[in-house]
Amino acid sequence: MADDGVLSLDFLAGFTIFMLALVMVLSMVPGLLAGLESSGIDYDAVAYRTGVILVEDPGWPAYPPWELYDRDNKEEIQRMGLAVSKETPNILLSTKVEKFFEESFFTSEDYRSKVIFGDIPYSYNISLRSETYNYMTGDPLPPGYGYIRRVVKIKEPGVAEIKSPGPEYVIPDPSAPEWNSTARNFTVRLNFSQLLDPGRGPAYRIDPRTEPVNITITNFGEYRNITGPSVNATLHNVTFWKMDPTRPNPRFTRIPFSYDTIDANLYTLHINGTADQHSLQPDVPVDSSISLVLKPAATSLFTLDQNSILDIRFNFEDDPPRTNITGTHPYDYTNVSHAGLKTAVLEVAIW
Amino acid sequence: MVNDAGQLYTMEGVAAGVIMLLAAYIVVSTTSIYTTGDTHIPDMQLEQLGSDVLAMMDAPDINGTTSALETFVSTNNGTGFNSTFLGYCNATTRGTLDNLHMSANITYRDANANKINEYPFVAPDNTWTGRESAVRATRWVQLPKLSPKPVGMPGDMRTDPQAVLVEVLLWRA
Amino acid sequence: MNEEGQWIVLMGLLVAVALFFLALIINQSALVGQTTAEGVLEFPKNDIRDLREAVFDYVDAAGALDPIERVDIEKDIITISLERKNAVVQFGNGTPQDVSGRWLRPVDIHYNNGVTVYNETVYY
Repeated sequence: MADDGVLSLDFLAGFTIFMLALVMVLSMVPGLLAGLESSGIDYDAVAYRTGVILVEDPGWPAYPPWELYDRDNKEEIQRMGLAVSKETPNILLSTKVEKFFEESFFTSEDYRSKVIFGDIPYSYNISLRSETYNYMTGDPLPPGYGYIRRVVKIKEPGVAEIKSPGPEYVIPDPSAPEWNSTARNFTVRLNFSQLLDPGRGPAYRIDPRTEPVNITITNFGEYRNITGPSVNATLHNVTFWKMDPTRPNPRFTRIPFSYDTIDANLYTLHINGTADQHSLQPDVPVDSSISLVLKPAATSLFTLDQNSILDIRFNFEDDPPRTNITGTHPYDYTNVSHAGLKTAVLEVAIW
Repeated sequence: MVNDAGQLYTMEGVAAGVIMLLAAYIVVSTTSIYTTGDTHIPDMQLEQLGSDVLAMMDAPDINGTTSALETFVSTNNGTGFNSTFLGYCNATTRGTLDNLHMSANITYRDANANKINEYPFVAPDNTWTGRESAVRATRWVQLPKLSPKPVGMPGDMRTDPQAVLVEVLLWRA
Repeated sequence: MNEEGQWIVLMGLLVAVALFFLALIINQSALVGQTTAEGVLEFPKNDIRDLREAVFDYVDAAGALDPIERVDIEKDIITISLERKNAVVQFGNGTPQDVSGRWLRPVDIHYNNGVTVYNETVYY
């Protein structure tokens, strides 16, 4: 038999294996086109997750809020979120924003472990911009990065401004016998059960435990004692008093506080519009204005709960008395001017 | 019958063929080509941005007032809605403006015929043709009693309090 | 038959098969990043939040409306959701109850868009 042109069985077996391998490899070619860059493939997902943590989460621990922790307790912060509360996504609290972007308080390791939560150390750049804020933290942007942009609104603290003297704050008849002591007291009252009323959404609520209390008394010259000599009254001291109305015999008690130390992290007191900082026992003559900002770090030291009443008492003491100011100004929703929510843009870049 | 000379050559040839194919595969796969698979990520970014902007326009700045979105819809103010929406979308933290465009429709229910209709609220501009794929973001708006009915609203829309859906198409030009 | 070199060639074939298997694994891993973005797009987080706020607005306004208007608004939300959002929604509110000193209504919300199902009872 002529066996030219006969393929051997071995050749057929080998050729079959070869064709099978070729067909399988060719069928994997579409997978090549999916863009294989294993290290960069999750930058956008991590940026999106970081954006959600910053914008929709109030952070943990929530009460006492993480932004009141100082350097020694920084390790107890588990998650830094900027939202006012869980029910108000995309609405940020200004105190959280300022603490998050505070220079040289958080290291880049803190940002990685408390906001970004990645297995590998990502580089980041987080920036926030509005008409009044322009913050950034992180490294400069490289050519390629994962990115997310969120539009938010920022809740700012309100200001209680006591301007021209209304009749309720002026002593009607200074020569009457009940006014013959030398003390003149003006009180600003914060009723927590009224302020923290759950019927009002957290985005529009005044919460002195997390936001600064800002009291400004202007036109102080109008309160001067017109019958006496035209001299400035002296702000003797500012004291804090608290009362718990749920107790059987509620009384005001003076809160122990370091009234004579100047600590800008707890409060700032400016008198007459100058930039000098005063302690809470200034003994300084006032002719135009008093501005007191009580920071939430101080309010948290007062051990108040949601039913307390906090009184801030301004004591003007002179002999003979040089001012006619008196009365109690409630720090509530009718008296505190709230500027409204401000729009801002937050961008997170991860690479 | 079968010539078994050259078996070794055959095996050698098969192995060499397989190794050559593998080498070619590894060389080709070190390059990466951008394909349609990756556009899901920009879609996700745009969709989140559109939803954010609608949610922020629906949040009143001061407690108790009506939100900007409800005011725009109940007065049928498409131009105001367009400029406010794009102002929020195109703002970046670097101060430069992004290049996003939008168009919007309002969907309502015709109570008499129990059908869903929509009418254009913001018409698309000239970047509508030849654009990248657009994403859709929606928001519910509760309209109060409209008396009188604003100019431009279709006739079969109720004036009683109703719920309408604002749909915004957002694309990058 | 020349049987020399069988081991070498067999090992060569085995190595080729092993490399082929590894290439298959790398090929399939390329799809990981793509499905993450699809997963985020697929979950209707903004839709559900929006629906909750719409239902709360309805509950707020329901006190001042007459029953026909209330049913109309409910039908609006249900039919527009089905038609434009491809989601079946159903919601209702009950009589107010005393919850830690405040009178709140139990509101229940059901949402199903074919992929995600969301049920909630909240006191509002």
